[in-house]
Amino acid sequence: MDAQPRPADHDPLSVTGLGAAEGPCDPTPWLRQRKLRKFMGRQDDLAVAAAGRALESAGLGGAGLGERAGLYLAVGFIPFDGDELDALHAASAVDGRFSMRRFATEGYLAPNPLLTFRCLPNMPAFHVSINFDVQGPYLVTYPGAGQLYAALEEARIALESGAIDVALVGGVAHQRNFLVEHHARRLGRPSEALEDAAGVLVLETAARAARRGAVTRARLLDCAAGYRPWDPRAETRVLDDRFEEAGLDLAGFGAASLPVALGGLPPGRHRHRLASGDGIEAASTWEIA
Amino acid sequence: MRRRVAITGLGVVSPIGLTVDTFRESLLAGVSGVGAISLFDATGLPTRIAAEVRGLPVRGRDRKIDFALEAARQALDEAGRPRGAGGVSLGVGLELFSLDDVAAARTGDALPAALGERLTFLQTPSDLCVHAIAHRYELRTPPLVHVSACAAGTDAIGAAFRLVASGRRDWMLAGGTDSMINPLGVAGFCRLGATSTANARPAAASRPFDRARDGFVLGEGAGVLVVEPLDEALARGARVRAEIVGYGNSFDAHGISEPHPEGRGAWQAMARALQDAGVGPEAIDCVNAHGTATPKNDPVETAAIKRLLGARAAEVPVCATKSMIGHLISAAGAVEAIATVLGLEGGWVHPTLNLDDPDPACDLDYVPHKARAHRQRYALSNSFGFGGQNAALLLRAWDARR
Repeated sequence: MDAQPRPADHDPLSVTGLGAAEGPCDPTPWLRQRKLRKFMGRQDDLAVAAAGRALESAGLGGAGLGERAGLYLAVGFIPFDGDELDALHAASAVDGRFSMRRFATEGYLAPNPLLTFRCLPNMPAFHVSINFDVQGPYLVTYPGAGQLYAALEEARIALESGAIDVALVGGVAHQRNFLVEHHARRLGRPSEALEDAAGVLVLETAARAARRGAVTRARLLDCAAGYRPWDPRAETRVLDDRFEEAGLDLAGFGAASLPVALGGLPPGRHRHRLASGDGIEAASTWEIA
Repeated sequence: MRRRVAITGLGVVSPIGLTVDTFRESLLAGVSGVGAISLFDATGLPTRIAAEVRGLPVRGRDRKIDFALEAARQALDEAGRPRGAGGVSLGVGLELFSLDDVAAARTGDALPAALGERLTFLQTPSDLCVHAIAHRYELRTPPLVHVSACAAGTDAIGAAFRLVASGRRDWMLAGGTDSMINPLGVAGFCRLGATSTANARPAAASRPFDRARDGFVLGEGAGVLVVEPLDEALARGARVRAEIVGYGNSFDAHGISEPHPEGRGAWQAMARALQDAGVGPEAIDCVNAHGTATPKNDPVETAAIKRLLGARAAEVPVCATKSMIGHLISAAGAVEAIATVLGLEGGWVHPTLNLDDPDPACDLDYVPHKARAHRQRYALSNSFGFGGQNAALLLRAWDARR
């Protein structure tokens, strides 16, 4: 299986904004409602910061985007911290063993009541939507680097059909936590290679970008993805994404890899190839301005 | 040019039927699938009822994988394999379900060794469902995994519709699968105060649009549809069950756990589905509501439907499948879309159970208690997610003359 690049059917889409965030980051400069800060986990912080930076670089900072803007976001594996599990277990154990009876009366009350909000995979999209007033269509997909290409494809359909004027396309991965590191360890991959990161692109049609005088930072020239089916009941998942782009080591960035990569490329034509651990192979060509 | 898109196969695993035929019979008869939780000992939790899938052998510990595989099998058995390269687009629930794994991991106990048994909380990222389906049916286009909460099943079908209509996919399996009837899932919703605590009367607990509603009832299951270009379906002699003619989705961009008070996002999703199809609100004959039976959803959804349909709103039947099967979360939109297709085909609207005393803020025709004969051409199916993600599908009854 090999991904066969396909030229864009329409005028190339323009990247008019790029934003990235890594590690612990502070999203408060972009929060419209500070009261929602307590609901935010790291993946939410990262997504809001990356989207805020991308919009600012596109000259759209501070503007409510409204109905003509869509969000296409690939979200990494569900994060779950060991501290929360410890609290849950400690309050649910009898003689050191998990007790359903104690869990049902005490244990389930032990974790922070806001925990659910902080780990749900649709919450980064919620926080981006509310802070930048995105009311348009969306795709929220999960969990690998390959899914970013699915998000990109959906955004292209929406932009080229005229359904929206602006697409935020990005990925976010909170991976330095107990659960995701556990996934990596059991599959033989060093958890130290994992990064907490988000990257967001602002995509527009070339005509729309020109009309509003936006600076085109890159153009999407072609894009395609293929897939090798595999049996999760017989094969161990290979949690090992491989990227081909000179000078970039992006395997630890998960769903954020492509937008993070684009932010680091010098001017010129670049081919980005991905062989993801979930069987997706994808390739795209970008003209960096 | 956009292609017309047909649904040619249906597969369902639900609390009221493990086949499309039994599901249809239960819908028409107004059967409730809600009962005491049997999948684990829920004694002590505020909510001890749910709508469980019963009678389906489950091979692994992650029930939603088996649900999805069974629903996909049914759908493809009916449709036959369409021509060309297929794909899968699925709304998939969370992997947080196996508390004994959590305990084992934190105390150093060994986790199960066999691969099938290892499909648990700590070892099953949720997307394995789509890979299992893609492997079984040799689907060689990249799968789509939707995690837009309660809107995911509808979004999955909508995305498949767009991909097939635009010619980017030859055909797709589309739908959703979920099971959150597990200690973490049920307790998590209890912690949020979202689920009904009417434990003494399980069959009466899910009460969409009723004044006495006190939250949703958790359900589980899967729904999968075969989606392909209409002309290809006709050329190969497939039975067309219905057409997908429009899809819309939107963000509320309002509140983390409450919908926009005027139903702005819900209205936008429905209006976009109509706009996508090029039809006006006067064409709508029925709405399969999100209808969760939570205090906030039902009046807001009612307001959004009224804004969409205007003066006709009072004449258009609105039904809530969740009154029978509970809330299937990521699978809800898929199973409810199947209920909508069956109603379009059969010329009926299934009832909304337990609507004894309608909330004054919910003043539409919700088809209380009993199914009703009602010929339809166009029906909407709504799904609105926690976190303000809203999706709507517009389906059209199949008519070979059109």
